[in-house]
Amino acid sequence: MSFSNQVLVIGAGIAGMEASLMLAKSGKKVFLVEKLSLIGGNVIKNEESFPNLECSTCMVAPIQQAVLQDPNIETMTLSTVEKIDGDVGHFEVSVLKKARYASMTDCIGCGMCYEPCPVSLSNEWEENLGEKKAIYVPTAGSLPNVPAIEAEHCLQLSGKKECNACVEACMFGAIDLSETDEQMQLEVGAILLATGSDLFDVSQLTQFGYGKYPSVYTSIEFERLFASNGPTLGEIKIRNSDRQPKAVAMIHCVGREEQGYCSGVCCMVSLKHAHFLKHKLGDVKLFNLYTDFCVPDKTHQKFQKNIIEETQSIFHTSMKDIKVTEADSVLNVAYIDAKGKEASLNVDMVILAPAIIPGKDTEVLSRIAGIETTEIGFLGLKSGGLSTVETAREGVFLAGCAEGPKDVQSSVTQAESAVGGMLARLSSLTS
Amino acid sequence: MKKKVGIYICQCGPNIADNVDIDKIIESVSAFNDADDLEIVAKPYGLLCSGEGKDYLKQEIEENGLTHLVIGACSPRDHNNTFIGVCKETSLNPYLYKLINIREHCAWIIHDKDKATEKAIQYIRGGLRRVLYQSELFENKLDTNPDVLVIGGGIAGIEAALSLADADRQVFLIEKTDRLGGKAATFKTVLPKQQDAVEAIQLKIQTVQDHPHIQVMLNTRLDRIIGFLGNFEAEVRSIDDAEKMTELKIGAMVVASGFSLYDASTHPDFIFSGDDEVYTALQIEQMIAEKNQVTTRSGKAPKSVAMIHCVGREEVGYCSQICCNAMIKLAARFKTQSPDTTVKVFFRDLCLPHQDDQAFYNEIKAQGVEFVRVNRIATEGSQIKFTTMDENEGSELFDMVVLAPAMIPADGTPDLATKLGISLHETGFFQEAHQAINPVATATDGIFIVGTAHGPRGIQATLLQAQAAASKIRVQLIPGEQIVPEVRVSETLEAFCMGCKTCLEVCHYGAIVFDEDKGISVVKEAVCRGCGNCVGSCPSGAIQLKHFTNPQLYQEMIEAVQ
Amino acid sequence: MDKPNQNEFKPKIVGFLCNWCTYAAADLAGSSKMEIDSALTVIRVMCSSRVDPNLILTIYFNGADGILIAGCHPGDCHYGKGNYFTRRRYAQMKQVFETLNLDPGRLQLSWISAAEGNRYAEVVNAFTEKITALGPNPINQSSLF
Ligand SMILES: Cc1cc2nc3c(=O)[nH]c(=O)nc-3n(C[C@H](O)[C@H](O)[C@H](O)COP(=O)(O)OP(=O)(O)OC[C@H]3O[C@@H](n4cnc5c(N)ncnc54)[C@H](O)[C@@H]3O)c2cc1C
Ligand SMILES: Cc1cc2nc3c(=O)[nH]c(=O)nc-3n(C[C@H](O)[C@H](O)[C@H](O)COP(=O)(O)OP(=O)(O)OC[C@H]3O[C@@H](n4cnc5c(N)ncnc54)[C@H](O)[C@@H]3O)c2cc1C
Ligand code: SF4
Ligand code: SF4
Ligand code: SF4
Ligand code: SF4
Ligand code: SF4
Ligand code: FES
Repeated sequence: MSFSNQVLVIGAGIAGMEASLMLAKSGKKVFLVEKLSLIGGNVIKNEESFPNLECSTCMVAPIQQAVLQDPNIETMTLSTVEKIDGDVGHFEVSVLKKARYASMTDCIGCGMCYEPCPVSLSNEWEENLGEKKAIYVPTAGSLPNVPAIEAEHCLQLSGKKECNACVEACMFGAIDLSETDEQMQLEVGAILLATGSDLFDVSQLTQFGYGKYPSVYTSIEFERLFASNGPTLGEIKIRNSDRQPKAVAMIHCVGREEQGYCSGVCCMVSLKHAHFLKHKLGDVKLFNLYTDFCVPDKTHQKFQKNIIEETQSIFHTSMKDIKVTEADSVLNVAYIDAKGKEASLNVDMVILAPAIIPGKDTEVLSRIAGIETTEIGFLGLKSGGLSTVETAREGVFLAGCAEGPKDVQSSVTQAESAVGGMLARLSSLTS
Repeated sequence: MKKKVGIYICQCGPNIADNVDIDKIIESVSAFNDADDLEIVAKPYGLLCSGEGKDYLKQEIEENGLTHLVIGACSPRDHNNTFIGVCKETSLNPYLYKLINIREHCAWIIHDKDKATEKAIQYIRGGLRRVLYQSELFENKLDTNPDVLVIGGGIAGIEAALSLADADRQVFLIEKTDRLGGKAATFKTVLPKQQDAVEAIQLKIQTVQDHPHIQVMLNTRLDRIIGFLGNFEAEVRSIDDAEKMTELKIGAMVVASGFSLYDASTHPDFIFSGDDEVYTALQIEQMIAEKNQVTTRSGKAPKSVAMIHCVGREEVGYCSQICCNAMIKLAARFKTQSPDTTVKVFFRDLCLPHQDDQAFYNEIKAQGVEFVRVNRIATEGSQIKFTTMDENEGSELFDMVVLAPAMIPADGTPDLATKLGISLHETGFFQEAHQAINPVATATDGIFIVGTAHGPRGIQATLLQAQAAASKIRVQLIPGEQIVPEVRVSETLEAFCMGCKTCLEVCHYGAIVFDEDKGISVVKEAVCRGCGNCVGSCPSGAIQLKHFTNPQLYQEMIEAVQ
Repeated sequence: MDKPNQNEFKPKIVGFLCNWCTYAAADLAGSSKMEIDSALTVIRVMCSSRVDPNLILTIYFNGADGILIAGCHPGDCHYGKGNYFTRRRYAQMKQVFETLNLDPGRLQLSWISAAEGNRYAEVVNAFTEKITALGPNPINQSSLF
């Protein structure tokens, strides 16, 4: 017997969600496994997405809703895949579903339980620019709009102290502190890995002063700083201060040389940030430090041109020569200009565009899924020139940034393509 | 007929109950008696969206014989579908129900309980008035045809055809030339990771030709189409024999008409004639395909080659994405042909946005290909003049000059767009439905755009798009299954339409057609998405959007001003 | 904050919100429990472009003191270009108001995205304040209509 009517999608970013919806529409039962407490992936961290500068929530929330409401999709949040046995048509998958402690059916998302919780934590989802409680939703508007408890920090659950504050605050009896992690077995015919990517750790490159100077940000931190549902409600203020930046330098390609490839989207991200700043702060001075503008799409160059008018683009010759230092809250960015001469800028904020790198879990996933990684460390497709979504393990497919850096458009396209691959593979089993 | 309206107010635990006085709402709306034949049942309930709540509602609808239903609860974005689902399981038509959001619009935002209650009463009364003006709507199931027409026999069209044919769809593939494969079929050199491509493409062409589910029609173009997703009719005509017309019935279409190259000879900075040693990258590819080597017009291998990127990039207004790579690939080819060839690459930006690109570039650089970053560049024959980034000027003569002209839309693209009724992007390529989240669809359901017809891209990205479109068709049109179009759509009121065609212009989906005989506009209900834009545009009030009609909205809002 | 002589006047405002962006923003403002003036009555439409001049005039002549139309930011409309048409019709309506010697300031168009719960609250409260300052719709006081 084959399990060809059931499929597994790992990662509920834009790629995983799009694939799940299509698979569900074609009549498959979809298990969508997401390790965080919310679905949506990286896109929902962005206030606006290039190239249209469209509000990401408006674009993605209907998709998130559709996923959560689809009767053919079983969304498993706070879950990770631990083992994949068997082969195409007959995969047996072990999933660890961590306790959420709040019921997905009883909770109505009123938010009454957060305030009474005595434990404040740094909010990782907000890139640590904001706080959350031990019982939390990562951001206003999270979907599913049901809190989760971080057991290791909750007073009661970690055994530090007795506490029942959230349980008492919930009028719906939706919180159950006795919930336990669950080990689940799934039987599926095909698997899609859509676990996304991470960003290069810029603190490795001390020349940029990240971690040392509070006014040096990464691109993703800046996304949250700008977001109207973010920790500052979209007010652009320099970390630990009330200052608004008056001059900002955006440094492209941080980590490109170290990683050995161009991520293809970071130029657009930096340009988008320039636009955000101009739009919100008006007379801010903007500098783009770059070597190559990689804006490869029919829409991108126009986007670049429009934004470049608002900023000063500075061509520099080598990443290695850039050095950021701080004195009296003023950042000095030293670089080598086109003529090979030393030059520098004074700004009060620096935004680094780190390379997109393989997700943290890539190693583990590649082992569990029994597939190779590429030379640069992303999950690998079947070798041979023309494979687009299939891996060397039959029945296991890839989509989105898990397969390599890409923008939303390409992630969605690959997800859609993978659905076809999965359906074709599954129907070849039954016929 | 006597109307019996049920009004149910959800307490939403304490969320609504604590902040508005539900008893007062019930009292007030029970007293609403605008008409004699109206009876009202008004009740509070704990949590209507819960399993018990839904059962309770079903029971109430049936036991009371409700003719209309108003629910005062949370946002329709949360639970409209829930309650529509409830109605569907009863004898009540779901369009005779209305959800009123007294949580987000009263209980949670008006912090004074009396004011919030007063507002909630007003909202519920508005809902009650509205629901009395709502009409039953019935879902209409349509049979569909799962077969597909693919336009263009390049790698994009071939891949789409194969993916669909393997899913048991009958595919008609029309190609305007006399051969399949498009540009990529001629390449002997491809990017390092695509080495199998040369053979794979030939194999695909062969498979398409032999496939029992694919009918290839060479020298053929599209004449016209009518219809909508699941039910299109297309007329295609032989280019050689204008008499030869075939009518095809299909459910969807994939447009894969490909690209052309920018004509570098029209660029003022590049002066050359057919006798000069100036070639486009595509001509070099073709030369390699024909004789497996690159020679000058006098038949000698070039000792020095200049490769110029981004020709026409400024003029067309976008970066073509693949030419940097293609040029580096050709640079490598020159080096393999003769390692001591001087190869200089003149570029402004290097656009290498794929995993392996940079490694390849580094490798080629290590083989001695020189990369010169220039601000400006011009040629006169094979004499090149340039300004580097540090404002130094240079001038050099080469044995051969290779240009990378921008990729532009294939000839005939605007004409094809008109025939299909789909729009073009400002760059002249076809316009997708949504650049980020619906990239291979168009505003017309059932018409897809893939490959370089969509925008400049390489083989890999082209294949992905073709497969994506095939998947979408596979999922949207399942053989033997019917589709259920949206029912909250617009309709034209024949008596009022004066035939001005304003509405045709505003509809983004081409859902309105003009009936020449009657001289009026007609909405194709299966195509309409129900936005209501046409209603706003019609100067004579001849269009109404079902479930959002003016009388319905009037009833809803009139309470606000009383 | 209370302006003494306007304590009496409580404006009636009708707001047409598009389902995909501004209505979602209102939901976000709601779930964040932001305080919003009760003057506004929300009418949900699928797209801001559904709001035809007819509706606006009807509600104005029935006594609405202010009319708000709010939808997705330009370029974000769920139906392609709907809100560009909204913008044009809004400009037209302003002219119609001027021609009829009505105060076009009673009409407002705003773009509010689904993430902008706080902006939604700000826009509604500011518009309410503005209309309060303008005083009642003259229709409500004249015997003309
Ligand atoms: C700062 C920044 C700004 C950007 N701006 C834009 C933009 O404006 N426009 C644009 O087109 N693109 C933009 N991008 C790129 C865009 O974010 C990506 O293309 C997109 O998010 C990729 O989607 P995905 O589904 O592949 O991955 P993701 O969005 O990363 O989603 C992956 C999901 O998988 C989950 N996951 C990870 N590991 C596991 C595991 N082991 N088990 C279960 N689940 C797991 C993650 O929690 C996540 O939910 C930007 C990127 C960055 C970094
Ligand atoms: C010099 C050069 C080198 C390249 N090298 C590489 C490389 O190494 N690797 C890589 O990945 N990519 C490369 N590319 C890109 C690659 O050529 C394209 O990605 C690929 O050819 C796109 O295929 P397509 O089917 O979209 O378009 P096309 O190949 O243009 O095919 C379109 C087909 O549609 C037909 N057609 C057009 N209009 C109509 C109509 N109205 N009705 C019917 N039929 C119609 C055409 O006749 C043609 O057969 C290169 C491009 C160039 C210019
Ligand atoms: S039980 Fe835990 S989560 Fe709940 S309030 Fe106490 S510390 Fe917070
Ligand atoms: S209080 Fe209860 S219902 Fe409200 S958000 Fe918390 S768990 Fe959910
Ligand atoms: S891919 Fe390279 S050569 Fe082609 S337009 Fe872009 S930058 Fe220029
Ligand atoms: S805008 Fe109105 S009157 Fe004009 S054609 Fe359309 S329906 Fe008829
Ligand atoms: S409601 Fe919208 S989609 Fe339907 S016909 Fe009118 S403009 Fe077109
Ligand atoms: S859908 Fe929001 S304005 Fe059109």
